[in-house]
Amino acid sequence: MYVYLLCWRYLRTRYIALASIISVMLGVATMIVVNAVMAGFSDTMRDRLHGILSDVVVEGNSFDGFDHADEVEALVRKVGAGRIHALTRTVETPGILSFQYGPETFTRPVQVIGVDPGTRAEVGSFAEFLVDESGEPVKPSFEVDPRLRAQSNAGQLLENADPDEEMFTVLQQHAKQEVPDSGTILGFAAVSHHAPGSMQDLVLAPVGTRVALTFPSVGQSIEPRRDYFTTLGYFKSGMSEYDSSFVFVPIERLQFLRGMGDGKRGGLINALQIKAKDGTNLDLLATDLATALWGRWPTRFRVQTWEQKQGPLLSAVRLEQSILNILLFFIVAVAGFGILAIFSMIVVEKTRDIGVLKSLGASTSGVRSIFLGYGLSLGIVGSGVGMLGGLLFVWNINTVEGWLSRILGHKVFDDTIYYFNSIPTKVDPWTVAWIVGGALLIATVASVWPAQRAASLHPVRALRFE
Amino acid sequence: MSIHLSAEGLFKSYRKGKSPVPVLHGVDVEVEHGEFVAIVGASGSGKSTLLHVLGQLDAPDSGQIHLDGRRIDHVSERQRDQLRNRTFGFIFQFYHLLPEFTTLENVLSPLMIRYGMFGYLARKQQLEQRAKGLLERVGLGHRLTHRPCELSGGEMQRAAIARALASQPEVLLADEPTGNLDAANGQSVLDLLRDLNREQGLTMIMVTHDPHVAAQADRVIKLVDGRVEEWAPALM
Repeated sequence: MYVYLLCWRYLRTRYIALASIISVMLGVATMIVVNAVMAGFSDTMRDRLHGILSDVVVEGNSFDGFDHADEVEALVRKVGAGRIHALTRTVETPGILSFQYGPETFTRPVQVIGVDPGTRAEVGSFAEFLVDESGEPVKPSFEVDPRLRAQSNAGQLLENADPDEEMFTVLQQHAKQEVPDSGTILGFAAVSHHAPGSMQDLVLAPVGTRVALTFPSVGQSIEPRRDYFTTLGYFKSGMSEYDSSFVFVPIERLQFLRGMGDGKRGGLINALQIKAKDGTNLDLLATDLATALWGRWPTRFRVQTWEQKQGPLLSAVRLEQSILNILLFFIVAVAGFGILAIFSMIVVEKTRDIGVLKSLGASTSGVRSIFLGYGLSLGIVGSGVGMLGGLLFVWNINTVEGWLSRILGHKVFDDTIYYFNSIPTKVDPWTVAWIVGGALLIATVASVWPAQRAASLHPVRALRFE
Repeated sequence: MSIHLSAEGLFKSYRKGKSPVPVLHGVDVEVEHGEFVAIVGASGSGKSTLLHVLGQLDAPDSGQIHLDGRRIDHVSERQRDQLRNRTFGFIFQFYHLLPEFTTLENVLSPLMIRYGMFGYLARKQQLEQRAKGLLERVGLGHRLTHRPCELSGGEMQRAAIARALASQPEVLLADEPTGNLDAANGQSVLDLLRDLNREQGLTMIMVTHDPHVAAQADRVIKLVDGRVEEWAPALM
């Protein structure tokens, strides 16, 4: 009983020891906040990556793509029977995007992706990321709206032109040149500019703008191929790597231009993107597909899940989180040394009281328990307050960000940079438990040495201590 | 009367650096049940060490100590703790009350040590009654919730006496109990000890360097350089 009573009294009267646990508190709070924000970012990023990449990707090993796409698709559907929800074909090639903005010509390296917008939208988050300049959603289609052509310079002249005149045909051709038949969806970051000090992005290629795409043809003697497309919308996923490089065009058109097909369904493709049914073991599905494809066409295909495809990025995020946790844990470890130092001082200060307790019959383990219990109590208070503070901060992080932005006069978390409306957070109860448990352990371990010193004091020497 | 506590051939030395400093040189002492014995001697004569060794706060280098004929100098650490908690009650010159506890809690502290948390809570009312009775007995019934820093020297020593009595010891060991008190307070503490000895038949061993204080005991043992020089009935 005296152990608990003394722990409680020491806790209430020794303010210097309470000061020592402020660092435990801050360490725990910081770790909870950092982990919650990193987990929030990481989860959102994973969701987006997953959405963009679909579940499993069957890629041809050759840049020129693979043929017999129908046979490959049939085999994939057979092997993955019952596990595949949707499937789409894609053609991918590096290319150059160029467009005119005022007197300037912009040229950007991009990844040109030929897709079928209908089936592409079924295999992952594609339709959700399509927007116009004002952020309004755009339907997944490459159909050029006749109104866009009507709004072009030639189109406006056509309105008042007489269809019987020769000029009418010339104007029609001009309108077609200004607004080509093929539509394209451009990565938002590839065609927008974030002006310094501005909250708005300046879109350099508004909807209806004609852009030129240049890319290599297939075959042994590679030639540059170039065609014009009409901007129909933007791909804005929040992943800057994709938003700055992806350009979507109709698959048949790209196949035709690269020499992979006749512009109709069929032809060579670069990849099959697969959306699995819920609860499917993706690794197993990928392995099954790889085995089956290897049996039929050895060396032609590479089958990867979205996680395997983004392995380096995902493991880099995990590594970053681990390193940050280790560094932050040092704060708590430093707090442990603070507790050790202050406890050693308290043991010296309490030497006579320890002698008195022993003279009253307190055992060595009893005296040890007082200081171990005291260390644990400090740890409980420090990590408890730290946990509450950290969680409150996480739950109100966007309010705090709002206040900070108002005080500082500029946005601390600029959603035009991160593409998040608010700071994403995710509190994992296990992570919180590990952090709090670790802090408790450090506080207790730090008090072991002083407690042992107190316990081993000789009663007579302790009583005579001055 | 029968022998309550006895020591034979007690040797004890402390180490100062590498060389041992002998303090007790074969001390033989016998104390009877209900006897009030004073140990006197000059500073450094070994009287406090003798008290500590008798009360199991320290172990002798050699020699034997018997309590009611049972040898207690070579018992285990756990038994030694129990002897200090149940058999011996200590009173110190500087009171040594625990500053974090109230007067009542200080008196209850040996009982908190004796019983575990649940044992103590089960007997809480009864033990508190006993402690309050003891504080009434030493004239501190109105100081139950005061902290030691709010008490005078005389009050602190009386609280310490109540604490020593709380565990209902067989032998009360007092190390210069009046050494830090003025004459009036000192006398009041001595009167209290004398009364306890007479009323409860408590065996009492008191260390003092003051012959007037020693004179109030039944018998005086004089230590000179760690040896018993003389035994004398106290001047009553």
